[in-house]
Amino acid sequence: MNPEPFLQLDRVIHEKGRLGIMSLLAASPQLAFTELRDTLNMTDGNITAHLRTLQESGYVAVTKSFQGGRPLTTFALTAPGRKAFASYIDLLEQIVQQSRGEK
Amino acid sequence: MESGWANDHLQVIRTLMERAAVYRRALAPTTLVTGGIGAAAALVGWLARIESPRGFALFWIAVSVVAICGALWVMRSQALKDKEPFWSPPTRRVTQALLPPLVAGLVAALLVVLPQGAPPARVWWLPPIWMVLYGCALHAAGFFMARGIKLFGWGFMVLGCACAVAVRLRMGADGLPALGNAHWLMGATFGGLHLAYGAYLYLTEKGKNAA
Repeated sequence: MNPEPFLQLDRVIHEKGRLGIMSLLAASPQLAFTELRDTLNMTDGNITAHLRTLQESGYVAVTKSFQGGRPLTTFALTAPGRKAFASYIDLLEQIVQQSRGEK
Repeated sequence: MESGWANDHLQVIRTLMERAAVYRRALAPTTLVTGGIGAAAALVGWLARIESPRGFALFWIAVSVVAICGALWVMRSQALKDKEPFWSPPTRRVTQALLPPLVAGLVAALLVVLPQGAPPARVWWLPPIWMVLYGCALHAAGFFMARGIKLFGWGFMVLGCACAVAVRLRMGADGLPALGNAHWLMGATFGGLHLAYGAYLYLTEKGKNAA
């Protein structure tokens, strides 16, 4: 099996928690912090760390606003983030297809 | 190199993307509308004195059709508002998960009330059977929605089982109350529980996004 696609996988996205965040954001224009946390069943600290990594990589953008007098933090994929996620899925599919071709 | 993990990753991605799309659907208004219809129907059924077994079953089948239409209308409005497709793959999956227990509930109703000469008291089995099956439907749909839906489904299943035990005990003891009272049981469960859950969602989601 050609190891090339595996080596090209984006390590930032490949981590399970960050992959979950990217998947949810890929399906929604934006999601609130608590929606992400509750859907992925993660702790505040854990998801904050992953979101920070994704922000630092330029994959996720954060928006802070107020709703009904309370702070609202929402996250959305950036254009590079969406592109990186699409490439990641393409590589996964290549790996699966390669494996099927070898059987 | 093993590629099972790649398949697993793709499956996780697919599931989460589907869940995200359904997650934001208007759960609170949907449950409030369903609960409102259930509670209003109980009042109508009681006031209209629908007390024959066949009338009771047909009336509540009609109410369930109205409630489903109401829920779909709310979801469609939400999808249009968000400029998203209504009949999306996640919506199809949720519908597919809901359908088998709901169809089983319809069949149960027909089996209970259609045979000629069936004892009228038999219809008292319908509310607990419907509660259990509806709970199963919610639990199955919960795999594609917010986790609270699964717990809501469990609530219906437990309540349905408790009602079934109560019906069984009353049959063997002092007999079952008049069928008119079954409307209140339906109203309290299918109406009241939905209203309570909808109100909970409405109140918690208002401040839920704060972080």
